[in-house]
Amino acid sequence: MSTLKHKGKGPQSLTGNELREGYSVWLTPELEWSRDFGEALKTEDETLIAAMQAKGEESEEANFVVGVYFIDIEPDTGLPVRYREKFRVKGPSYDTADELGLKREK
Amino acid sequence: MYRYDEFDREIVQSRVKQFRSQVERRLDGRITETQFKPLRLMNGLYLQLHAYMLRVAVPYGSLRAKQMRQLAMIADKYDRGYGHITTRQNIQFNWPELTDVPDILNDLAEVEMHGFQTSGNCIRNVTSDPYAGATAEEIEDPRPTAELLRQWSTMHPEFAYLPRKFKIAVVASKTDRAVIRAHDIGIEITKNDKGDVGYHIIVGGGLGRTPIIGQTLREFLPREELLPYLEATLRVYNRYGRRDNKYKARIKILVTETGIDAFKQMVDAEYETLEPLDIAVSAEEVARITSYFSGPDFEELPTHDDSYKAKLLSDKDFKNWAENNLAEHKMPGYAIVNISLKPIELAPGDITSDQMRAVADLSDKYSFSEIRTTHQQNVLLPHVKKSDLYEVYQALKDVKLHADNIGLISDIICCPGMDFCALATARSIPVSQAIAQRFADPERQRAIGEMQIKISGCINACGHHHVGHIGILGLEKAGVEFYQVKLGGDASENAAVGKVTGPGFSQEELVDGIERLVDYYLEVRKDGERFIDSYNRLGMAPFKEALYAA
Ligand code: HEM
Ligand code: SF4
Repeated sequence: MSTLKHKGKGPQSLTGNELREGYSVWLTPELEWSRDFGEALKTEDETLIAAMQAKGEESEEANFVVGVYFIDIEPDTGLPVRYREKFRVKGPSYDTADELGLKREK
Repeated sequence: MYRYDEFDREIVQSRVKQFRSQVERRLDGRITETQFKPLRLMNGLYLQLHAYMLRVAVPYGSLRAKQMRQLAMIADKYDRGYGHITTRQNIQFNWPELTDVPDILNDLAEVEMHGFQTSGNCIRNVTSDPYAGATAEEIEDPRPTAELLRQWSTMHPEFAYLPRKFKIAVVASKTDRAVIRAHDIGIEITKNDKGDVGYHIIVGGGLGRTPIIGQTLREFLPREELLPYLEATLRVYNRYGRRDNKYKARIKILVTETGIDAFKQMVDAEYETLEPLDIAVSAEEVARITSYFSGPDFEELPTHDDSYKAKLLSDKDFKNWAENNLAEHKMPGYAIVNISLKPIELAPGDITSDQMRAVADLSDKYSFSEIRTTHQQNVLLPHVKKSDLYEVYQALKDVKLHADNIGLISDIICCPGMDFCALATARSIPVSQAIAQRFADPERQRAIGEMQIKISGCINACGHHHVGHIGILGLEKAGVEFYQVKLGGDASENAAVGKVTGPGFSQEELVDGIERLVDYYLEVRKDGERFIDSYNRLGMAPFKEALYAA
């Protein structure tokens, strides 16, 4: 199990990677996983955070996601605080496949 | 060429089967992520910032055409139609899915490839001179030695859990095209006064957060002592290398903390306890391995080729390309064709599946089916007849592989950085592109001459920034990327670690600063001096002033 427990400040989101495909996912208000950060649940509500934590653990045990952890969210922008997490949300700013119009989807 | 023998085939195929079963067990939960992670890493499968990444070993950078074609097939079928050549001569795929990886490994095994020793605290893929077997500078082909080391180190039971990863590079000429002094062990094949061939062993080099240039462990090690002596060296490292702190676990720290003389004594003492004959390979075995690399059947050709000369005169672009990208071959009438993977607008080291197939076809037709990857993140055709060069150039042009910038300012080494890497602190690809754009003018690039810019997206230094003439390190503070500059590094036989100039720059300031720096060099250089020569003559101060002049 990862360092799932949140010790962060401000609004929290829960993220991880799909075990099968490997893509980054975020937990939605329906407590489902989405590849789109736009759909992520961002909350300071401790009850909700506890529910997110339970869902994270359950999803890891169900072998659906790996490496689940909480991230801090900037209240004003709704984006992750850490630079790295901002990048994970956006995807690569450069990818040769996009640049050359190679396969978009696999 | 290296011939894959039945041992390799069996091992690789059983590993594919093993991994398929491991993936199945992971997916249905019979093994946990904690148990699975080391297993996937042993096959070169990482989890990166956005997705999995598969690293495929290219032993000493030697590839055959059919392997390149298979890599192209894999890129199309399972990934996004391209691959990335790394500074360790391997190839990476950025977007594989776990469920496909057993099939990918199976497809790789069909062409005798795999991802072993591309991760973990083992002896990693051995790298070598990409000009091996083609350059007149070499004492002998370094690949049989590299292959011997590969066989010795592959799944060596004693060295599967070293304190940290262990990287070995081998060259056989004074000119160092494999950065042997920045490796845990660097080997230069050399001759002693009597004319015997043996090994100059360099130990304790490395980049990462503590860059160190390797030191001589043995000036001349007789040929038959190679494996026993390295075995002794690895045993000493295995025993005394630090396991308490992974940042101090590389052999470079042990050698520095112990001192090279004391370290050598430890190795010698260990060597005394070995039964060298148990480890050393017989002369027959060496001959057998060497025979795999006996080289193709070169034609006897005149040194000069008239049709080639005529094309040089009639096609100026071809002439520029030939002057920059070709290297001298040991055989009269042949040339080494460097193919730049650094077109101005794309990411350094990336190659599309169409380009892979084109290179494979060219190597079948013109280079005895041989291809090499380089630590500069380019590829090359080692043996092309001069009379074929124009056709090769035209074909490369058709797939946009004709950039004529080998060794120039836009031939930048660059790691994936924050665009892909989970450990990154900043992006590196956009910075390399911005620099390449700024110096896009080919005339200007040629006027500047040899220049090595190397960029890493964090202190792990996968982009070799410590040994760049200009080294760039991407960092981040409060959500803003900034770039620290090092000057005076050298990745050649005159290896040196560059010095940090001072405070970092934003990307824009950085490119302006580098331009001022380069302009200053053009002003002060003496005849034929490269940037690094002028820097070494004048020292940091004036270059620093130019860099920060804004
Ligand atoms: C999955 C992505 C990668 C990860 C996790 C990774 C990780 C690391 C780490 C942790 C180090 C520092 C090791 C140490 O100092 O002990 C390192 C060094 C290095 N890596 Fe990477 N790296 C990655 C991608 C690459 C790529 C793409 C290249 C080639 C372009 C590369 C080549 C190197 C080299 C040449 C060094 C420095 C040499 C050394 O001292 O070992 N790595 N890497
Ligand atoms: S230098 Fe850092 S950012 Fe670049 S590939 Fe290595 S670990 Fe990743």
